[in-house]
Amino acid sequence: MKLYNVKLLTVTCEILAQKNIIEILKKHDITGYTTYEVEGNGARGLRGQGLQTEKNVKIEIIMRQEKLSDVIEEISRTMFADFALVLYVCDVGVVRTEKF
Amino acid sequence: MEILQLIQSNLLTPIILFFLFGIIAARIKSDLKIPEAISEFLPIYLLAAIGLHGGIEMRNTGFENMLIPMLAAIGLSLLFTLKHYQILRRLGKFNIFDSYALASTYGAVGAVTFSVGLSFLKNQGVSSEGYLAAVLAVLEPVAFILAIFLTNMAISKQIRAKKQSATGDASSDIDVGLKQTKTKLSQVLHESITGKAIVILLGSIVIGYIIGESGFDSIRIVFDEMFTGAIVIFMIEMGIIAGQRLDDIKKVGIFLIAFAIIMPTFNGIIGVLVATVMGLSLGGAVMFGLLLASASFIAAPAVLRHAIPQAKPSLYITSALGITFPYNIIVLLPIMFTISTLVHSEGTIDLFNYVLNGLI
Repeated sequence: MKLYNVKLLTVTCEILAQKNIIEILKKHDITGYTTYEVEGNGARGLRGQGLQTEKNVKIEIIMRQEKLSDVIEEISRTMFADFALVLYVCDVGVVRTEKF
Repeated sequence: MEILQLIQSNLLTPIILFFLFGIIAARIKSDLKIPEAISEFLPIYLLAAIGLHGGIEMRNTGFENMLIPMLAAIGLSLLFTLKHYQILRRLGKFNIFDSYALASTYGAVGAVTFSVGLSFLKNQGVSSEGYLAAVLAVLEPVAFILAIFLTNMAISKQIRAKKQSATGDASSDIDVGLKQTKTKLSQVLHESITGKAIVILLGSIVIGYIIGESGFDSIRIVFDEMFTGAIVIFMIEMGIIAGQRLDDIKKVGIFLIAFAIIMPTFNGIIGVLVATVMGLSLGGAVMFGLLLASASFIAAPAVLRHAIPQAKPSLYITSALGITFPYNIIVLLPIMFTISTLVHSEGTIDLFNYVLNGLI
């Protein structure tokens, strides 16, 4: 079966930043994403303990190469300074490229 | 001293002991933890119980006399938020974002503190006006809305100043900025009014009002008799979270530590006196003072992280939860109770003189 190359953007951030990320995705006409709650340690200390609002979340978004740099640019410009956030990109293969 | 005795006996109540126990458990790095679903459920339960009681009381006493205390509470909350900002910005030298975030955290109310207050009064055999639950609901978003509005005003002023110095065609940027400010505010307003805390509180007040004392009998065992027990369980969780943050307290600085103790004391005592002047009962005055003294630590991060993301949550959560909350429930509640007892025993006619003499 033929696999098409698209990008997987993974954002790990504090749970209260999730809404901002999803708004940015919406702005770029990306509606599909997957989130899950995670714990971990990072530059801003141990996260996932304490109050509900202090948890971390991992957001995975599959998108085409064309949208990727705009989305990353907007996330970095508007959120890096104020939020606990890490992002990375991988190449993934999908069957139905028209979905993304 | 009567106050010291009251503080001492308050220290030995289950609520405070379990809170301190939670702190110890966190300090010895125990893996003790209240399951997530329960710690998410308990605030909803507490607010439902507060709301039901408030609604039933309002049915008994009517709510025509609620308006003045409510307006006074809103006015004081706004005034205190502005005062906090000035103190933090000028004396504390915090940046504008942290100042507004902290100012509104301390201008807002804490539902958990309110629950502890109710249970404290129950313990003393004193009741309070039911409509204070409605005041709690209304006060919840007030301070945040003011702080967010002022922060956005300050930002757009900065943008405009920058714009004036640099000539060019960037005027559209300002419009965009102002527009964003407006949508942000309406979003915050919408989110806080439809937020779970206010929805459950208002819903329970309405239901309490409808069912009245007779309808409450069938659920009394859950919403009345279990109330203090539920707080106790929640206090373990609060203690653990506060205990995990004890190290952070050193980082917030001596100024904020002092602020987190002096401000609630000042606000709370003013609240007790104002409430007494308005004719609230002994217990009602304590709860009114507690509303103004308490700082928000459950709602605050959710609102502020969005509206003022530049502010450091470690400052406002740590000071509200790690310093002010324990201080309020251990020390300030007995102090306010003693003051309220004093001013209420003087009789209302002498009250103004008493307050004046007390101040001079």
